[in-house]
Amino acid sequence: MNRTFNSLKNFYHKLGSSPWFYRISGITIPYIALFSFLFLFIGIVWGVFFSPTDFKQGDVYRIIYIHVPAASVSQAIYYTMTVAAVVSMIWRMKMAGIFIKSMAPIGASFTFLALISGSIWGQPTWGTWWIWDARLTSTLVLFIFYIAIVSLYSSFSEKKSADQAVSILTLVGAVNLPIIKKSVDWWNTLHQPASIKFTESSSISTEMLYPLIISIFGFYLVVLLSGLMAMRAEIAKREINKEWFKNY
Amino acid sequence: MTNLAKRIFYKELVSYRKRSSTYLSPIVFFLITIALYPLALSNDPADLSFLAPGITWICVLLSTLLSIQNIFNEDFEDGTLDIFFSLRVSTLSLIILKILVNWIFSSLPIIILSSTVIFLLFLPSEGLVILLTSLFLGTPVISLFGALAGALSLGKSSILGPAIVLPLSLPILIMGTSSVTSFLNGENPSFYFLMMLAIFIFLLPLICYACIGALRLHYE
Repeated sequence: MNRTFNSLKNFYHKLGSSPWFYRISGITIPYIALFSFLFLFIGIVWGVFFSPTDFKQGDVYRIIYIHVPAASVSQAIYYTMTVAAVVSMIWRMKMAGIFIKSMAPIGASFTFLALISGSIWGQPTWGTWWIWDARLTSTLVLFIFYIAIVSLYSSFSEKKSADQAVSILTLVGAVNLPIIKKSVDWWNTLHQPASIKFTESSSISTEMLYPLIISIFGFYLVVLLSGLMAMRAEIAKREINKEWFKNY
Repeated sequence: MTNLAKRIFYKELVSYRKRSSTYLSPIVFFLITIALYPLALSNDPADLSFLAPGITWICVLLSTLLSIQNIFNEDFEDGTLDIFFSLRVSTLSLIILKILVNWIFSSLPIIILSSTVIFLLFLPSEGLVILLTSLFLGTPVISLFGALAGALSLGKSSILGPAIVLPLSLPILIMGTSSVTSFLNGENPSFYFLMMLAIFIFLLPLICYACIGALRLHYE
């Protein structure tokens, strides 16, 4: 018990050291790139060409292999950013700040992808590009949040205070996002009695589910890959004059 | 401590009274935007009375945005904040007082003015009490978010403020308008009032501490 705790603590301290992170991420990035390409390729090719056609929606439903992973990733990135914000606020770990800074644009892009793919899916199936549905609205708010975090970061010239400011905003956002989600739900039930329901995920058949899971996995790996690369770039930017970086 | 709080409160009141533009511009902005809606949408009283709660709430939200830069900016520029942070007084009470005075000068006049929407936007007069109550409960939360945005974007570009405040204020906007519409539809609006009050109580300590953290960033 004590030993596992110690090794965890050790790992945490290593995570806070940028030379260690830079070295390890440099080693792992090629493998992650390979696996993310594999999963994404298998998931999407299987989903688009080999899984059965939906009897209700036809072939249009195949965009699910982009849309659902993107939506899932877009929320997961915010959760990880919240954890990093807590770490950055309490222990002032500079890698946590680098993490938030690098992940926010990635989160914004995947949320944008989820919104775009959702509206492309919605056009043929619901007959409209956009609908003020609870889920769509809260995804849009999430997107605005990512943009606000990115723009807040860019407004600071001092990196250290930028990290802290962004952590504060991320935490306040994390507290507020559930409230926003809930209130949008109430608003939706008040203004628009359930006209469209698209929660058929429980009734999805296994032949469609397997490629979806693989594709979700591939998306997470892509996020990991792009996150690592963005963090490496940020470390290089910040520590370009440090001794270890010159000797790297 | 209470003596000091009283003095800070008095100082805030005086400094707001001297800068008349800071509390006049939200009022002017509110009246202008209220007048824009009938011109742009329709002058039919039936349409307007249906839209009145939403229009009023949007105008209140936008006009309080004008004042968020004022909460800390002046004190930051002339060095008052430096002194407060170096004094051994509780910064928490200072922040709360500043938000309170800001609310008195930026939101209270607009809340009082918004009772004119029964003439301007033909809001059914029985809905007025509900609208005012929702504004009284909702605008303090918006002031809290405004203070946070003001503290984070101290001396920075002004677009940051709205980008932070508006998405955070969505629940208040929804509940504020829903309370009035549901009352006009014959339902009990107390649910929305209690929710707004709960959000305020929940967020008050959180946002105040976040404000302190954000202000300290500018002194590192």
